[in-house]
Amino acid sequence: MNKSIETMWKEGFVNEDQLTVPKVNDLYNRKSQNIVDKLQNMFAININAIIIGSLIMLVMMSVIGAPFLGLYICCLLMPLVILAKKELKKSVNLSKGQSSYDYLISFNEWLQSSIDTYSWYYKMFYPLFFLGMATQAIVSKAGGKIIALFIEKFPTDILIVGYPYYLIVLITVLTLIVARYAEALYRLDLNIVYGRQFKKLEELITDMKTLRS
Amino acid sequence: MGSDFYQLSILPYAGIIIKICRAYTNSQEDFEDYYQEVCLQIWRSKDNFNKESEWSTWIYRISLNVCLTYLKRRKTGDKQIVSDSLPEEVIDDSKAFISDEINHLYNAIKHLSETDRAIILLYLEEKTYEEIAEIIGSNTNNIGVRIKRIKDRLNKIINKKD
Repeated sequence: MNKSIETMWKEGFVNEDQLTVPKVNDLYNRKSQNIVDKLQNMFAININAIIIGSLIMLVMMSVIGAPFLGLYICCLLMPLVILAKKELKKSVNLSKGQSSYDYLISFNEWLQSSIDTYSWYYKMFYPLFFLGMATQAIVSKAGGKIIALFIEKFPTDILIVGYPYYLIVLITVLTLIVARYAEALYRLDLNIVYGRQFKKLEELITDMKTLRS
Repeated sequence: MGSDFYQLSILPYAGIIIKICRAYTNSQEDFEDYYQEVCLQIWRSKDNFNKESEWSTWIYRISLNVCLTYLKRRKTGDKQIVSDSLPEEVIDDSKAFISDEINHLYNAIKHLSETDRAIILLYLEEKTYEEIAEIIGSNTNNIGVRIKRIKDRLNKIINKKD
């Protein structure tokens, strides 16, 4: 081939009108389905990760001599798995017989109500989780040694279930703080994991709304 | 996307989008996906166009950005055929091109790195070094040398196939 690349290019596009312009069609339908599929996949993966995570926790805690804590965490996480599966099923059952805009809107409504349901769950999960960890810490050997040091430094006659009152007060206060910020913690976690997808969903709905107006 | 906007502001420049998307895709399906995504991004970012440059320059920039982003995403998602192992037949389904020669050139262009593809496409579209630098966000100084190198590589690839 003796032609220069410039000539090849010029001659190749002498008549630009002959270029076949692809049809811009069905773009938003595909995008809607893509984002919904992606989010549903992420939710399903998350459920599996919770199941695997709780089992690992159970084994790990048993290995380090805290089987009850492992079991406790497992019991705390199981309702989440049931809840998540139920919620995911609801999203899959959303009617697809509507327009993609309506479908996306109902998916978003489901998402918001689902987030509210999870918030309610996490408001209990985080403080209970913290309480479990704290209890395990004070009943453990290492915890006992630290508490003994505390009693030596700050002796007190007031004991609650065998522990100095200030320790119980501290744990109670911390549990209340965790409970107070549990929802914010959950939203932060949610944002880290799904933030990008949620933003995309929001943008897509805005685009489609603009198109319809 | 409003159909008026598409008709008036995108369709007259469809040639630019087609030429760029073609250089970054290996199948008709991908090509159409990239084309649609570029159109969508142009529409979305139309309010950011500050009129300091030509509308066509804006289209080049968006097209390249979309293609490079898409390509990066695909590379991390699923393994794609890269450079030297690119089979000849992957572009046979092109409907958008009129001569075998141009397909041949595109095939050679696809052996280049993503940025080199962008540079040579802009050069072939007779963009000035300043415009090329502006679009790809680089320095004007080394554009000339880089183009020379890319052309040499392209010629080598083309001649090897002949």
